[in-house]
Amino acid sequence: MNGMHGIIFSYEKKTGLRELIEHRVHGSIPFGGDYRVVDFMLSNMVNAGITDVGVIMHGKCQSMLDHLGSGKSWDLSRRKGGLKLLPAFAYTEHREGAGQFRGKMEALGCVKDYLSHIRQDHVVLCDSDLVINLPLDDVLSEHLRTGADITAVCTSHLGDSSDTYFKLDDAGRIVDTVRDVHTPVGYRCLNIYVMSTELLLRLVEDCMAHNEYSFRGAVLQKRAATLRIGGYVWDGYAARINTIQTYFQRSMELLRPEMRGELFCPARPIIGKVNDAPSSYIDPTGECVNSLIADGCDIQGTVKNCILFRGVQVEKGAEVQNCILFKGTTVKSGAILRNVITDKYVTIKENGTLMGHESYPLVIARNSEV
Amino acid sequence: MKKECVAMLLAGGQGSRLYVLTGDMAKPAVPFGGKFRIIDFPLSNCTNSGIDTVGVLTQYRPLELNSYIGNGQPWELDRVDGGVHILPPYQSATGASWYKGTANAIYQNIGFVDLYEPEYVAVLSGDHIYKMDYSDMLRCHKESGAACTISVMEVPWSEAKRFGIMSVDEADRVTAFAEKPKEPKSNLASMGIYIFTWDKLRQYLIEDEADSASENDFGKNIIPAMLHRGEMMTAYRFEGYWKDVGTLDSLWDANMDMLLPGSGLNLLDKSWPIYGRSTVCPPTMIGPAADVGNSAIAKGCTINGEVKNSVVSIGTVVGEGASVTYSVIMPGAVIEPGAQVHYAIVGENCRISSGASVGAPPETAADPDQWGIAVLGPGTVVAPGQQVAAKTMLDRHQNGEVRA
Repeated sequence: MNGMHGIIFSYEKKTGLRELIEHRVHGSIPFGGDYRVVDFMLSNMVNAGITDVGVIMHGKCQSMLDHLGSGKSWDLSRRKGGLKLLPAFAYTEHREGAGQFRGKMEALGCVKDYLSHIRQDHVVLCDSDLVINLPLDDVLSEHLRTGADITAVCTSHLGDSSDTYFKLDDAGRIVDTVRDVHTPVGYRCLNIYVMSTELLLRLVEDCMAHNEYSFRGAVLQKRAATLRIGGYVWDGYAARINTIQTYFQRSMELLRPEMRGELFCPARPIIGKVNDAPSSYIDPTGECVNSLIADGCDIQGTVKNCILFRGVQVEKGAEVQNCILFKGTTVKSGAILRNVITDKYVTIKENGTLMGHESYPLVIARNSEV
Repeated sequence: MKKECVAMLLAGGQGSRLYVLTGDMAKPAVPFGGKFRIIDFPLSNCTNSGIDTVGVLTQYRPLELNSYIGNGQPWELDRVDGGVHILPPYQSATGASWYKGTANAIYQNIGFVDLYEPEYVAVLSGDHIYKMDYSDMLRCHKESGAACTISVMEVPWSEAKRFGIMSVDEADRVTAFAEKPKEPKSNLASMGIYIFTWDKLRQYLIEDEADSASENDFGKNIIPAMLHRGEMMTAYRFEGYWKDVGTLDSLWDANMDMLLPGSGLNLLDKSWPIYGRSTVCPPTMIGPAADVGNSAIAKGCTINGEVKNSVVSIGTVVGEGASVTYSVIMPGAVIEPGAQVHYAIVGENCRISSGASVGAPPETAADPDQWGIAVLGPGTVVAPGQQVAAKTMLDRHQNGEVRA
């Protein structure tokens, strides 16, 4: 047995995702034509042989709950272990807080009882807003090999100043952790941490006792001297979805075969929710080039450089270019779309024209008729 | 627990006319329509019609079909009470035998049906492509008080001699039945879909088994016997798409019908969904050089060539400059750059190498009678530059070429 337990933090964040997070948390944003963002981390866990996963819920979690269900699609509907959805409220209510946790350590404090029943010797903590195909079993092997107390996954691809950055020494130990720096340097933190279950419980208890709620502040920074925190560098595809621009750009990268090869590598398949849609149909009048399409689409118009989720309809004479159309979008005849993201069940009426810019795509909110 | 109606699905057929494609599997396990298998149609019809107890009678090479059906979860037939059950022949105290015929298969499982004490039993075939509401047929069966209701559809008179033909009176009571008559008296063809009142069927099955001259077949024995004895039998008129896909040509036809608007076989219609076991794979990539038209493409494919008027199943790769027209490509096939596939059925996991060609359009045939679709059995590898002529079947199981 693998001996690792998965914890996924699914929380609401204030980011630049505008309409896409009106009804949902980051983890349940549709991505890659047939997935939700959380599917990637969940699949990484399943592919590493993890059988027990706890998902800590927060905020507008309805769409996340609907998506995960019993965990059956990921083979995580188990009599013992499997997928557990964890509403993390109890602790803050006890502390007369706002009913929502303020940081990872506080969230873990809320589900301390769950943590104390973990069957495995090791735990991996991660966020639900990261699109990555990461061999977590290799991260665990590295963790065991180096003898680190905590192993944090990071990348040398830099992001923006809202990310957390590590400075590694020659032995791969994290010697400094910073955030909100003007010019990012070092390694960008991917918010994936492996440690022993015993250490996690000790840290949660200690942080609760000292009213410390942030993993970065209380653990990575404050306890850096007493804990040996190692870095695991991953330079493959890793996209943190935090703005419309990054969402659009990182999605469109999937039209490149080498990017798809990395993210959808057959040895570690990404598993989405099982669906019953039939094959997509391309009409004699339809034209579809350089596009990623899910099942159940009906293409009678022109589709170029697009990502189409399940059940999208593009009627005759409609032209869709550089767009991402979520599940159930209908583009009526004669409509023209460029650089547009449509959320679920959007209808674009006849002969309408919608233009975004590559650097600022237009987002149409769920269920809208435009 | 007691059920009103139990469905018995006959899926034991070897499918001798589909033998190239069924080398390793029973006919109902043959892929259909890009994402499905033939048996998904009757199973989904059961679920959509509110029938939650289904016995699947298997006999010929059942392993692939068994693992495909599994616990029945994709069709919501994983029930605490009822659900889907695979029923192979088994050893009983008095001996064991293979299923001798369709009626004998049900006879050997009288014990299974009795577990649910049903009032009615639907007898279905595992190799038909259609969408049908059995609950409406059951309603008619109950209203008429018949011992047996037979689903029928009108066929062109010219084709009537290929079917079991029912003659009916003005109230749609069956007055005569003729199996493949030379001079049909009616154009109502039996679809091989029956609802019986269980008490009656049970009695006829026992009597039929006692008759050593019987072939133990529904069409040949049970139905004529009931009619002969004056049991009330009604015809249930079905309108809609229905096809027996027991031959390679009809299997190809049914796949092409799926692409034809107005054929009645619309899988995108959400009011009567067809369910199937999903395979994990990413969405399909239709590349920059692809030219796709009038085709159904399942997920997990990478299409960089031309695909016209074809059904392309899960995980197929079509290379740049390759051309696929009027063909059915089954899961996992690789069509290398520059290969040509026309009017063909390409079995699972075949590889058609660069520069090879499979099949040909009918208009290129010197003698139209000698033209037909080309068929590759599962796992066939067509070497670079190899030409597989129209109407050819290649089957790796026989290491050679079999003329149809």
